[in-house]
Amino acid sequence: MALLQIAEPGQSTVPHEHRLAAGIDLGTTNSLVASVKSGEAQTLNDESGNDILPSIVSYQADSVLVGEQAKSHAISDAENTIVSAKRLIGRSLEDIQSKYPSLPYTFCGDENHPEIQTRQGLINPVQVSADILKHLNTRAEQALGGELTGVVITVPAHFDDAQRQSTKDAAKIAGLNVLRLLNEPTAAAVAYGLDSGQEGVIAIYDLGGGTFDISILRLNKGVFEVLATGGDSALGGDDFDVAVVDHIIEKANLTRPLSNVMERQLSQQACWAKEQLSTHDSVDIDLSQGGKPWSMCLSKATFNGLIGGLVNKTLRACRRTLKDAEITIDDVIEVVMVGGSTRIPLVRSEVEKHFQKSPLTSIDPDKVVAIGAAIQADILAGNKPDSDMLLLDVIPLSLGLEIMGGLVEKVIARNTTIPVAKAQEFTTFKDGQTAMAVHVLQGERELVEDCRSLARFELRGIPPMTAGAAHIRVTFKVDADGLLEVSAMEKSTGVESKIEVKPSFGLDDKKITQMIVDSMTNAKGDIQARMVKEQQVEASRVIESIQAALAEDGKLLSSPEISVIEDAISSLAKITQTSIAADIEAAIEILNESTATFAERRMDASIRTALSGQSVDEV
Amino acid sequence: MNYFQLFGLSANFNIDLAKLSQLYQALQKTVHPDRFAHGSSQQQMIAVQKSAMINDAYQTLKKPLERAGYLLKLRGTEMPSEQASFSDNQFLMRQMDLREMLAEVKFADDVDSALFEANQTLEQEFLVLFKAMQTRLAQNTIDADKLAYEDFRKLKFYQKLQIELERLEEQLLTD
Repeated sequence: MALLQIAEPGQSTVPHEHRLAAGIDLGTTNSLVASVKSGEAQTLNDESGNDILPSIVSYQADSVLVGEQAKSHAISDAENTIVSAKRLIGRSLEDIQSKYPSLPYTFCGDENHPEIQTRQGLINPVQVSADILKHLNTRAEQALGGELTGVVITVPAHFDDAQRQSTKDAAKIAGLNVLRLLNEPTAAAVAYGLDSGQEGVIAIYDLGGGTFDISILRLNKGVFEVLATGGDSALGGDDFDVAVVDHIIEKANLTRPLSNVMERQLSQQACWAKEQLSTHDSVDIDLSQGGKPWSMCLSKATFNGLIGGLVNKTLRACRRTLKDAEITIDDVIEVVMVGGSTRIPLVRSEVEKHFQKSPLTSIDPDKVVAIGAAIQADILAGNKPDSDMLLLDVIPLSLGLEIMGGLVEKVIARNTTIPVAKAQEFTTFKDGQTAMAVHVLQGERELVEDCRSLARFELRGIPPMTAGAAHIRVTFKVDADGLLEVSAMEKSTGVESKIEVKPSFGLDDKKITQMIVDSMTNAKGDIQARMVKEQQVEASRVIESIQAALAEDGKLLSSPEISVIEDAISSLAKITQTSIAADIEAAIEILNESTATFAERRMDASIRTALSGQSVDEV
Repeated sequence: MNYFQLFGLSANFNIDLAKLSQLYQALQKTVHPDRFAHGSSQQQMIAVQKSAMINDAYQTLKKPLERAGYLLKLRGTEMPSEQASFSDNQFLMRQMDLREMLAEVKFADDVDSALFEANQTLEQEFLVLFKAMQTRLAQNTIDADKLAYEDFRKLKFYQKLQIELERLEEQLLTD
């Protein structure tokens, strides 16, 4: 029997209030929200008892419809009803048009910031995701009976920096506090791992509506260490539908371009046929129109033939990722299936054949990601201080810089554990060169044109020197969300000029603020109120955590040091009463600065404790 | 604090990898940003820094060649720049032979076995050099370290060849 714990008198172990947190699976086709309620992670339902929300937003003249309501407009009002926005997020116009040539939307905006023309004006794909997130947030708050302190949002492991950043922007516009962006396969591993308590190497095969991920993880005493991840951010069930649509068009002797209504109708038919074929050997597709009857029969064998190449593509990615992880198929003790497309019998049988073991499917593949995200959100919100769980994830694609000759010099290799910081030195090419163009790229290829361009900035004010004499240190930092920050510094002369950029392929801060304003009915007053509230919440969070730290580790400080911090706390507490966001923000900054040394000392002390704990184990 | 000290290990080339991994996980459990997701931005920033440093330390010590390079740097072994030329002509000739071997793989009648043989050759020669370096590093003298550094540089060449071979393999097997 487990022993009950009793706190030492005077120690602050008062159980803090339970913070409401949720996990959101923002999927290409469907989205879900889940939360840990009385110790168990469960998906949250809408009023009609459905937990799955179709990721569809319809922009009507005077309303924004989300989910099932929007779905009913998908065919009749295709131009104003955005489906699968996740495929568009963080992508360039060229990228979108070459990958998905038959979308029914009218695109506007510039090359790097594509927008869709709707009757509500220009809509950015980030806005579409924000509208879905808002909807799920409202659902969660109703179900849980209060405001959420934070959410964990899942993204495909293979998402690049621009796609991750855009997802985080969408959350910001929706007014959500993102505790972490979590990779979908890792979320699934959390959902399964905790249930079974296994140790060893597992593979997560995640085939969703729009993306494919394969992740190889090592489980050990609550630690989920991702060894390698791979996949394709543009391969999923939607592509199976496209293959079926193309087949129907061929059989029906139709020629493109077809009307938007026709395209949507065909793809809905194709999706329906695909689902039917998971349980039937053949299906009749009826495309009768205006008294002109036409139908065809699609057999499972034909369907398997249509998607066989795509399934093989996923298996090739599996092979490559196993190699990256330096693992052989025999080392894999379990294969987990995630995503609606893993319901397709051919996918299951091929994965089983490839890994030589029958895959785990006991948790609903549509819900497993949201459930894992909810478990992680509960821990990150601080509701489980004794939890032993730790997720060590990796970046999916290498990060680098453009060097002479249009080549990419890698600074951080793919599958490097995050967070990570790496610096590399570069030098000037010409005598007297005073500026340097820094071009940040992501991808595995050697040529700039084959990689994803994330950001460009210029480092100016380099003192004129002979070519090759300057030392420019470029630092890449990737945080635990997998988001990159780059800075560059000239250091040879001791004169430091430094610039920081956040990759802003999608939206800059000004645009995000504008979108937040636009989303408010009573714009100006609302946004100010919201900003004040955000700062107040942050202030109380900071005060609470510092007070807890003082109670626990005050011994690491001298009494003058303690009083400096206490003063900063009380002045912040006073300023928080006012309603000027900038003042509160400044006071938080002062308090943060006054605790920098303390935070560092605490961290070092905990490192020492962790190490000594280890040596004791050995004795 | 150097990477060995960070893990409470003495600065030797031969380390217990299982123990290193265990220490790494224990340290990450205390400093990872996830532990501070509800904390102040100050705490989060420090957590990211510490966690990134521990990741880097772990990756450096985990990989034998990286560990060797790091150890030589710690010992202050004089390191000529990477572009500095080798005086070992025999080694350079051998490198040219090996490059030629890789270039010819794709023209082989049996590509699979050519890949396999190339891999075997690289691995064997790497291992011989690696063992020499290991012995020299264990001596821990200035002279032995100088020689170990030569081995280290040569091993880097082999590492590059191995990466090229892997690329070649990927190319040939996906075509």
